[in-house]
Amino acid sequence: MRVMFAREAFKPAPGFDFHQLDCATQPGRTPGKSMEYDIIEKVSDIAASDLKLDAKLSEAARVLLRYFPFEQCLLYFEDSGALKLRAEANGQLQAVQAYEKGKGLLWHACEAGVPVEVFKEPDAASWESIEDRGLYGATHALAVPLKGSGRVYGALYFKSAGKGKLSLLKRQMARITALQVVSLIRCSELESRHSRVYDELLQMQQKLVNSEKLLALGDMAATLAHEIRNPLLSIGAYAARLKRQLPPESPGLKYLEQMSADIGRIERIMNGIIRFLKDNAVELKTEDLDSIADEALALFNDEFSAHNIKVERLRAAAMLPILADREQMKIAFDNLIANAIQSMENGGTLFVKTAAFGGFAVARLSDTGGGIDPKYFGYIFNPFFTTKKHGTGLGLPIANSIVMRHKGQLEAGNEGPGAVFTIKIPYAGAQEAASITPANGAA
Amino acid sequence: MKKRILVVDDEEGLRLLYKEELEDEGWEVELAASGEESLEKLERDSIDLVLLDIKMPGMDGVEVLRRVKEKWKDLPVILCTAYPHYKHDFGTWASDAYITKSSDLTELKQTVKDILGKRP
Repeated sequence: MRVMFAREAFKPAPGFDFHQLDCATQPGRTPGKSMEYDIIEKVSDIAASDLKLDAKLSEAARVLLRYFPFEQCLLYFEDSGALKLRAEANGQLQAVQAYEKGKGLLWHACEAGVPVEVFKEPDAASWESIEDRGLYGATHALAVPLKGSGRVYGALYFKSAGKGKLSLLKRQMARITALQVVSLIRCSELESRHSRVYDELLQMQQKLVNSEKLLALGDMAATLAHEIRNPLLSIGAYAARLKRQLPPESPGLKYLEQMSADIGRIERIMNGIIRFLKDNAVELKTEDLDSIADEALALFNDEFSAHNIKVERLRAAAMLPILADREQMKIAFDNLIANAIQSMENGGTLFVKTAAFGGFAVARLSDTGGGIDPKYFGYIFNPFFTTKKHGTGLGLPIANSIVMRHKGQLEAGNEGPGAVFTIKIPYAGAQEAASITPANGAA
Repeated sequence: MKKRILVVDDEEGLRLLYKEELEDEGWEVELAASGEESLEKLERDSIDLVLLDIKMPGMDGVEVLRRVKEKWKDLPVILCTAYPHYKHDFGTWASDAYITKSSDLTELKQTVKDILGKRP
């Protein structure tokens, strides 16, 4: 067997002109338009086409097979440390699906970084020194690495059972077409990255439009809420006065009671809207997330026992310092706890776990109330979205906006028999330590 | 002698409501429809407590509060507002109590009783 390393073999002779070299040998071709020109043009056409990457590669393999004196053209991609078959234009020879790192002629070429051409006499028993099952039945092969910007993308593998040795022009062409394939791959990678970025951009834009809509809606709701509130107060309070003045047997009493109940409901909705819209300013101080959670839970003790809800509290090992507006953070907890209670009106368990995790102080509230219908996941933080009969649809949006004002995240999901809400607030421990150190140093 | 409360609110319906409800509680009630009018009444009459709306056209409640506290340091003022969290505003810190407007007047009446009950 002879192995020819291409580094020397492919060096063009001085004054070499590949355009004219093989023209004379190609019957039926007009001078000046060589077969090489055709191949380069065809591969360029394929690269510029609307085909998907795999279709482009298969098409390119077919075109290359027509030109090179081989019976099989395989295209391998480097993929997590192995060379994997990605496209093929086939003859009768064996195609190995994948080469582990370092194995076969392909890796040899990739590691050398240059094309490698090998051939053996047809009667020679084996390929000495090269172990490559893909060479079984072949007598002539060419492996061309696909390289660009210092990265190996894969390799082209040509094989044949015939006799032959590539002309200088064909070796030149092997390199040129390999470069074309590399740019085809890179273009396609860029394109898919571009379309991914574009999709992300569209999504972001949609989010922005949504939040602008919410803002506009918010302004309107704030004005409405304020304008409605005073007259509502007046109606409600006068109804209560009237109720006190009517004799106990008066049939009008039950109408007034109904009026008062409904007015109370509207007032609660108004309070929710105003709280959601107006609490934009946060006064941040170093607070302990653990104790905020405890305080918020304590407010619900009566309701927990009324609904037969058990609370399992798992505390963090140490304080969980965060920069927070304590009152607002409690409101966020209130809303999440109220939400959990509403989902477990016939009893259950609320697990409240606090911990430091990955730069965040984390509070995790999970219930056994049946969880969130997955089709609603996209909506639960939208204001006024509710699945409850008398819900305002503001509890979770309020909690979410408060957490966001603390540069944190509120995540919702399902776990076991219920829903789980996770509040993550940046851990203030590190910053605090950093600001204390210089002062200590100075003292 | 009955203690006298000055109710300051630009909404006539609410002024009447507060007057009747607070009189039922045994207090004497004066009314003012604006910040400016409330200051005039304070100069003229003897008042024991001011019930002050924040959002009013012209001089708002926070400004009235500032002027009242400058001149009558010990006169108690209860601020009423639609916003549950108005306390971010420094001006409102000087008030003696702070209540959120609601058709349920229990909190309002209790706050009045707490403040006036303590004073001779």
